[in-house]
Amino acid sequence: MTAATHSLSRRGFLAGAGALGALATTALLAGCSTGTAISKDPDELVLWYWNRSLDPKFLKQAAGGISGHEPMRLRPDLIGGASYDTKFRTALAGNAFIPDVLMVNSNCWLYFPDEDLFTDFDPSATEKSAYYDWKLSLGRTPSGRQCFWPVDTGPTGFFYNQDVLQKADLPTDPDEVSAAIQTWADFRTFGKQIKQKTGAATIITATQLFNQFVSASPTRYFDRDDQPLYHHDDSSIRKAWENAVESIHAGITGNLQSGTDQNAGWVAGRVAGQIEGAWWTQIIHDTAPDLSGKWRIARQPERPGNSGGSFLAVPKTSKDPEAAVAFAKWITGADVQSHTYNDIQLFPSTPASFENGIMRNPGDFFGDQNPLDFFSKAAPEVPVTYISNSERFIGAFATEITNVESGGKDPERAWQDAIDQTDRVLAKRGVSA
Amino acid sequence: MSAPIREKTATTANPVVGGAPTASISTAATGHRFSLRRFWPQYVAIAPFYVLFLVFGLFPIVFSIVLSFTDWDGVGSPAFVGLAQYQYLLTDPRFWNAVSNTFIIWIISTVPMLFLALVLAFLLHGNIRAKGFYRVAFFIPNVTSMVAMAIVFGSVFSDGFGLVNAALRAVGADPVGWLSSYWGIKVTIAVMVIWRWTGYNAIIYLAGLQSISTELYDAAKVDGANTWQIFTRITIPMLRPVILFTVITSTIGGLGLFTEPQILFNGQAVGGPDEAGMTIVLYQYDQAFNQFDFGYGSAIAWVLFFFSVVFAIINWRLLSERDGLKTPRRLRAPRTVTTSAKGPRA
Repeated sequence: MTAATHSLSRRGFLAGAGALGALATTALLAGCSTGTAISKDPDELVLWYWNRSLDPKFLKQAAGGISGHEPMRLRPDLIGGASYDTKFRTALAGNAFIPDVLMVNSNCWLYFPDEDLFTDFDPSATEKSAYYDWKLSLGRTPSGRQCFWPVDTGPTGFFYNQDVLQKADLPTDPDEVSAAIQTWADFRTFGKQIKQKTGAATIITATQLFNQFVSASPTRYFDRDDQPLYHHDDSSIRKAWENAVESIHAGITGNLQSGTDQNAGWVAGRVAGQIEGAWWTQIIHDTAPDLSGKWRIARQPERPGNSGGSFLAVPKTSKDPEAAVAFAKWITGADVQSHTYNDIQLFPSTPASFENGIMRNPGDFFGDQNPLDFFSKAAPEVPVTYISNSERFIGAFATEITNVESGGKDPERAWQDAIDQTDRVLAKRGVSA
Repeated sequence: MSAPIREKTATTANPVVGGAPTASISTAATGHRFSLRRFWPQYVAIAPFYVLFLVFGLFPIVFSIVLSFTDWDGVGSPAFVGLAQYQYLLTDPRFWNAVSNTFIIWIISTVPMLFLALVLAFLLHGNIRAKGFYRVAFFIPNVTSMVAMAIVFGSVFSDGFGLVNAALRAVGADPVGWLSSYWGIKVTIAVMVIWRWTGYNAIIYLAGLQSISTELYDAAKVDGANTWQIFTRITIPMLRPVILFTVITSTIGGLGLFTEPQILFNGQAVGGPDEAGMTIVLYQYDQAFNQFDFGYGSAIAWVLFFFSVVFAIINWRLLSERDGLKTPRRLRAPRTVTTSAKGPRA
């Protein structure tokens, strides 16, 4: 090879690399400067959702056209992986690539402070009456705007393993169990007998018990003026705390902090039960398939609460907010929710879904008991609660109750630490004096 | 490279490098402009790194300084709060808990890890069979997915149903709360760190060992030194720069510990029960990406940076002073094998 061609090839390489680099740079700059809309197609509404949050069957139907708003059609984008909220907040912060309509999980209060960025669904009285009022209130901002639209719900109950109860000489029939655990004191007595006779815990952790107690209470951490309620001795939070502490001392919580331990506990019969939302029927079914026919559901003490359940939201930037709202209302209609339950076991937010005869009992995991029946009776009893803007700052209570359970921390010191920590965070984030 | 090219580069490069200080301002300016035009392909060729570094490296670093003086939830507009985040940090018991956790885990992982690595390297350096196999085997943990390993460790150390507690019960000992107690959690995380990084450090030590001249060992043997004396008087001193390197990288890694506690307690309270596995970086991540308090997260990041700098300086002082890494004149002064390893090599 001659020197000339050699040098030429080197130059050629450099020029090529340079051209590539320049191309990449211009592409990058172009990407930054223009086109921050999530879709350039004027007839396309982009939906963000996660797996099993909406029925693919109906998403497909909406992708063909949103009825009443043609030619608008849906482009469902499945958002995988963790940190769904972080991804959406990044889009909001950058004011770029914001979806036209999106699923938001039960933590929709995270967006309450930024409610201006969302469209008010502004439901009519008829529309309101079609949904559980407690579910609507969970998606209503403190200023009274319905920015988050009900999708599925999680009315709770006490799931239990019949075999463990039988070994403990306790009743195993759901009605009898419900009758035996009408108050939390009854529940502790019940759990103590399980512990004494079989050595099994009744509930995985004190934190789980604490959270479910709060979920079933008519008041939470703050009142309607966003003032903290937990300072008062008769607040739901204080009661939930005392119940959790007494349950720890009664030995009915299992101190099983990791998911591995919890699953093993249920499978091995070392944990007798779980208080959780209706969607847990599917979870225990998948966790302990060998225990099919052994599990039942009873009413939890006092009253059922709600655990989990997601929402649909329409950002202000949506290409066609009217069509997006229409889509949300359509896909959460009573009949569509009945089918969704059959397809992916999302528990409906519309009472009418139970009355159209579409829903099928999902199998015999719960023996002769029909979980659908059970939860459709529990759902209307869930109390209406108010969620404040400050709901995102209350993590210290759950952390501290764990400390009492797993670290043997003095309960009163833990309570004081939880309050101090929460007050500090509130003062820091400028939401409370 | 061909001769004509080199000649051209030399002549055009001269005014740029040497011309600026001596030549008049106008010549320097034209020379500069000329060189940009002349060497644009080279500049473009190295541009991707600098562009990416600017966008994903420098900008976030600078922006986090700005953010640490603001209160920002990631969606609205940041509000300037001065030093309030840092003031809060100084009196935040959760932050200081994270600091003490980080240092405890760092000490109980780094010390045994580096010791084990050194022993392993020493053994691998000797005449043993299937050396290559062992070298690969010890390095494999380092390239194994940490997510998968956290699940395995979570099962092995599980409180109620784990292998370790089953073994403890089998020998009649009390089970330990590996994933729920203050010290259990720290030991579990330290074991994960040791498992992952021992092989890596052993390979580095091995490279260091291989660069030590065998003459030194021969001379020591002739002088009647035993294995222990050879190890402590030759191997360790000669490896000092390599040890310094591993201590510094381990310190940086230890201060930045995140993956292990994050995945080990995935789905539970961040940092595990009693926040016993809460490290500084995990706390920073939690504040920024779970609590959406980006101002505070940034403040934590900068305090962590401060800690890192302090520890890098301490490390350097501790390990470099006595043997004088930066004093080349000592290399010229011959010393006996038993007092310093550097001498005979010079």
